[in-house]
Amino acid sequence: MKSPFAYRPRPRPLQLASPGAAVAYLGAIVVVAFLFSNPLVLLAAGAAAVVAGLLAGARRAVWFAVKMGFALALLIVVVNALVVDRGATVVARLGEWPLLGRVDVTFEALVAGLSSGLRAAVTMVAAAVYSACVDPDRVLRSLRPLARRSALTATLVSRLVPVAAADAGRLRDASRLRGPGAAPVGKAPLARRLLAGSLDRAVDVAATLELRGYSLDAPRARNRRSRSRYDRRFYAVATFVLAAAIAVKALGADDFQAYPTVEIGLAPETLALSALVALSGLAPLRRKTNRRSPVADGTKTSLCGPESSRRQGEREVARV
Amino acid sequence: MAVASALLCAALATAGCGLGPGADVGDVRLTVTREYGAVPVLETAVEAKESDTVMRVLEGAAEISTRYGGGFVHSIEGVAEGQRGGDPYDWFFYVDGVESQVGAAESEVAGGERVWWDYRNWAATNHVPAVVGSWPAPFSDGIEGERYPVVVECDGGGGACGEVRAALAREGVKVANGEPEKALRILVGPWEQVRDDPAARAIEAGPAESGVFADLLSTSPRASTYPGHSRGLAEADELVALDEAGEPAESLGSDAGLIAATSRYGGLPVWIVTGGTAAAVGEAARSLDAEHLRDHYAVAIDHGKTVPLPLEAP
Repeated sequence: MKSPFAYRPRPRPLQLASPGAAVAYLGAIVVVAFLFSNPLVLLAAGAAAVVAGLLAGARRAVWFAVKMGFALALLIVVVNALVVDRGATVVARLGEWPLLGRVDVTFEALVAGLSSGLRAAVTMVAAAVYSACVDPDRVLRSLRPLARRSALTATLVSRLVPVAAADAGRLRDASRLRGPGAAPVGKAPLARRLLAGSLDRAVDVAATLELRGYSLDAPRARNRRSRSRYDRRFYAVATFVLAAAIAVKALGADDFQAYPTVEIGLAPETLALSALVALSGLAPLRRKTNRRSPVADGTKTSLCGPESSRRQGEREVARV
Repeated sequence: MAVASALLCAALATAGCGLGPGADVGDVRLTVTREYGAVPVLETAVEAKESDTVMRVLEGAAEISTRYGGGFVHSIEGVAEGQRGGDPYDWFFYVDGVESQVGAAESEVAGGERVWWDYRNWAATNHVPAVVGSWPAPFSDGIEGERYPVVVECDGGGGACGEVRAALAREGVKVANGEPEKALRILVGPWEQVRDDPAARAIEAGPAESGVFADLLSTSPRASTYPGHSRGLAEADELVALDEAGEPAESLGSDAGLIAATSRYGGLPVWIVTGGTAAAVGEAARSLDAEHLRDHYAVAIDHGKTVPLPLEAP
């Protein structure tokens, strides 16, 4: 079964956009999460990442990331509550602990931990959406002019790690199929065999790359890919969100204070930014159109709605 | 199951666990001042709870803001750290007259302490290890809940030593005999003898070393007036008051006494009751009370008049 975070091509705007646009869009959400500590803004950023992922069809990735992010946030809240005893409102006294000394759980430490946890969760969800919706090959291809060898190495790693994992699965299956009477195979022999197989494969891959001329200078791009029609949308949303966040931050509207008492600012600028950030999650929304769209052979078709959109998406996937 | 739960609850309660801030442990006297105690801002008693710290006591009584994750006081009653006239100003606190080794958020209170916050210029030094302004603390209640024996070291102080013992007795402090290893010491005597103590001698190195804004300078030699003095000639030491910048501001002469507190290498505070002459030492010893010392870092006693140190910079 494929990992929920593995990239799946789908005819959705986020997948069809160029990697730069998708990274800028998701990166803007993460930057907002790191710029602000106000839980309201962080919740808005989290909502944007979740909605973007759902609209991009990465439901499983979002669900897993939300679960993992929630667990991580909970861990951060608990650790912060135990380690930091600052804050005026003592919720519980847990006595003397080894290493930690006197542990007082304060409401302020819980809220501060929640703020940090939310930031981590937002980052995880955005990363999951990126992983599930942005084609890694396209990312590496776009990096190739900048760092050819690194891009090639990253491509090989991203290809060979799953192959090695599959090898390990096959070896385990083979050892089990020898029957209950056979001596158990330890982890060390399994790892040795896996390493030997990986080295063999590495030699084969190196020979293949040599034969294909990878040792020579990189050929000039034969056909430059045209930009996706969704790029402008994602770049515009990213720019707008970042500009608004920086402006609001410069105005001093990040009015969140955890210590000595919790103060969560609800200034109009903060509320407006939260709404804007939350709405930015709708950027990957597919526009339903009733227009008659031309098909590749130049004829017109009466297909419209989801079917038309799906086909259009497929064409874009093919073009990409 | 019920018995196990009851036992667990009892164990937790015994270990100081529970919900909320805990029971009352007594009052904490909170004083907030500015300019080395010269400008009073707040004076109140706060009922402390089991889980209270210096920061929580302050937060409960004054409007404050913090920095660095709540561990550092940025402002009290709107007076914030910063630069004034090119000099750095910050909030410093003392618990029972002793500079805390930990931050306000970590400094626990147990009830009965005197917490003093002061906003001051720290261009000369940011480290004043002990102050006299919380008298009779630390002799009356100890430091951080631990009581120490109190020793009066009479270094040629004569009758002044008796005055100091009497002042301590009036506050209910019992003076220990002998030389206990860890003790709160009060050195009493003329400067030329008191300065033999390494902690006291730090005063000559300036406020950055001792935290005391005073200096005792030698003048022309004259016949020793101190009984038991080994030298034939002694130098009358003249008390010089320093300003906030640590610069000499006013010479108070050899007849002015000094009451100051310092400490060496983070050890227990050492109080010094001294002066250039026996009369000066006696005058300083007679001023050992709350009326003369309250909310001052150190004081000079000049012909019966209390001169808080440091002097205000011109």
